[in-house]
Amino acid sequence: MLKPDFNNENIAELNNTTVPQVENLNLQVLAQQYAPLNLIINGVLSLLFLMLGALVYVQNWIVLPSALHNFIPYALCIFAVTSLLIISLNFLADKQKRYALRQLDLHFSSGLMFKKLVSQPISRIQHVELKRGPLERFKNLATLQVYSAGGSHHTFEIPGLDLATAQQIHQFILKNKDLIHNA
Amino acid sequence: MHSVHKSSHEHQPVANDWQKLSPIAIVYFVMKIIRGVFANIVYLIPALAYSYSNIIAYPYIWLPILLISFTALLLGAFWSFQVYRFRLSDNVLEIRSGLFRKKHVNLPFERIQNVKIEQPLYYRLTGYACLQLDTAGSAKQEAQLVALPLVLAQQLKQQILRVSPESSAPFSAAPTHAKDSYPPFATDEQLINQRSLPDLVLHGITNNRVWILLGGLAPFYDNIVNKINILLMDLGINLNDMFNLQVHSLWQVGIYTLSLTLLFMFLLMLFSVTGAIISYYGYTLSKTENRYIRRSGLFTKHEVSMPLSRLQMLVQQQDWLDILLKRVNLKLEQMNARLKQADHSAANNKIIVPSITLTQSRAIIDDIYPNNQLANVSFSAISGFFMLRYIGYYLFPLCCLIQSIAIIKHNIALAAIGLVLFALLSTLVFLRWRRWGYAFDENFVYLRKGLLGVDYYCFPAFKVQQCQFKQSIMMKRRHLATVKYVLASGAITIPLMPETIALGLINRCLYQVESSQRSWM
Repeated sequence: MLKPDFNNENIAELNNTTVPQVENLNLQVLAQQYAPLNLIINGVLSLLFLMLGALVYVQNWIVLPSALHNFIPYALCIFAVTSLLIISLNFLADKQKRYALRQLDLHFSSGLMFKKLVSQPISRIQHVELKRGPLERFKNLATLQVYSAGGSHHTFEIPGLDLATAQQIHQFILKNKDLIHNA
Repeated sequence: MHSVHKSSHEHQPVANDWQKLSPIAIVYFVMKIIRGVFANIVYLIPALAYSYSNIIAYPYIWLPILLISFTALLLGAFWSFQVYRFRLSDNVLEIRSGLFRKKHVNLPFERIQNVKIEQPLYYRLTGYACLQLDTAGSAKQEAQLVALPLVLAQQLKQQILRVSPESSAPFSAAPTHAKDSYPPFATDEQLINQRSLPDLVLHGITNNRVWILLGGLAPFYDNIVNKINILLMDLGINLNDMFNLQVHSLWQVGIYTLSLTLLFMFLLMLFSVTGAIISYYGYTLSKTENRYIRRSGLFTKHEVSMPLSRLQMLVQQQDWLDILLKRVNLKLEQMNARLKQADHSAANNKIIVPSITLTQSRAIIDDIYPNNQLANVSFSAISGFFMLRYIGYYLFPLCCLIQSIAIIKHNIALAAIGLVLFALLSTLVFLRWRRWGYAFDENFVYLRKGLLGVDYYCFPAFKVQQCQFKQSIMMKRRHLATVKYVLASGAITIPLMPETIALGLINRCLYQVESSQRSWM
């Protein structure tokens, strides 16, 4: 009989067919607040920029060259259209982000047109961080950052986690990391 | 101060108290300060050059300034030497240094990644050496023991390396009998490869080592250019005149350009050869039990020593010129995360074996990874979609655009140039595609890539830090995917392979990493 806490889900015999597969991950969605929050942040930032542009256009303290001055409305229109496009694509992309946790590795999948799945074995983790900006704190969210020896350029990151979930994952990693290292 | 402790400690290279360096270290500090000043003064040189005559005219101003700076330099070096203390105790090295900003480094031996012995020219006469200690992870923590007798440095190095994490022996076994079991110049070292002067000349020709010289000459650029111009003038050569199309016909200017380019190339090559000799003179690659050691250098002798376990990846590089000469460069890549303080002339943590023959390279590779199949493995090509992507999606529309502009403007020359460029770039894309190849076996992943030259990469699957699977909509339709492996020495991408194979590769790698339980370093 197997012990009740025995878990060998990921590690199988050295047989190609039974090696755990990343294509069958149990992918989880991010916290519900995440995508709307990003949408609002991006929207507000773009609006601010538009208003700033409009302000420059209507003000008469500083005299701009007339060619530049006449160009401002067109530039703002172009900016408005592209940022609308980018923001909506971003929103859709945020909704597509998923993560998965296995006994021995973490996975994060993202991308709308360019799909990307990053897999981070827990045994290669150098250290873990929970990051929370002011807005994230306000919405009770957290970003999990995982560093490996691959360098800061390849930091594994799961954004938009519910704080409690993030802390659980954090604990899970710390615990399992030690387990793996001591094994 | 020099109280000697228990008899077992007598063999220990350095005792437990805070120690001063040998006075020869003053020379080191002088050089260090001069180097620091020079690095910052480069920006001032144009200004100085401009007011050169003015400055010279008032010796009573610049002479005292020069004298004072010189005295300050000597004082600074002497004082640096005075405050520098180091101490060895229980496998921990402590260094206190710094004039104004005091620094205290506390370095347990097991945290030391790499030990390098450097012997600048001015130390070589006196038999002293500089011991450079690299630590894992945090870039700030690195230390130098500035002036130790070479023998002592060698002993200390052995002592430190025996405690390093990869040696499974516990701490207690290490330092006290270091000397008995490890003579100062470890005799169990086995010479693997040696580079002769002709080899280095070859290396200089095939690989651009110009920057080694350029880096050193940087402060003098302006002067050099001026001197060259004056020299040419003296020889009766006026550059502006030579390239004037009103004076000479087109073919004459063409020949001038060609010969000047050739001359320039030749000079560059000469510089490159000099650079290669400066960095790799007296090159030896040797091996102890589990460690590879590279020694080389004409002026400053570098020694890089790397435990086999730290090796992340083997790279065998062959440029087109190397292919003609049948030589390769073999690189043993270590952890590479700290590029900031990369020291160019030392080619830091990498162990490179310059311009060896294919058989020699193969022998070294087999020695390092006995069960690798790099030489026999058959590589699978990546998808032809690679060409469609670059030629069809990028180059062809661009070419069409240029052609339509040419037609509208009735510019035949533009059309011709556009077509030739298109053909040329497409050929390059094709060559690139043809070189791409990947393979894998039980333990290793192999990769081949290049354009005119060809590079081979080989790394054990369990060294992988992170895997990435990438797929665009276009690729999904064709069931293709790109795999990126992140290793401690950098990332490696294999583009456009069949989706199933890509997933299989990732699954296998994760399996290897997670099941082997082996540390990556």
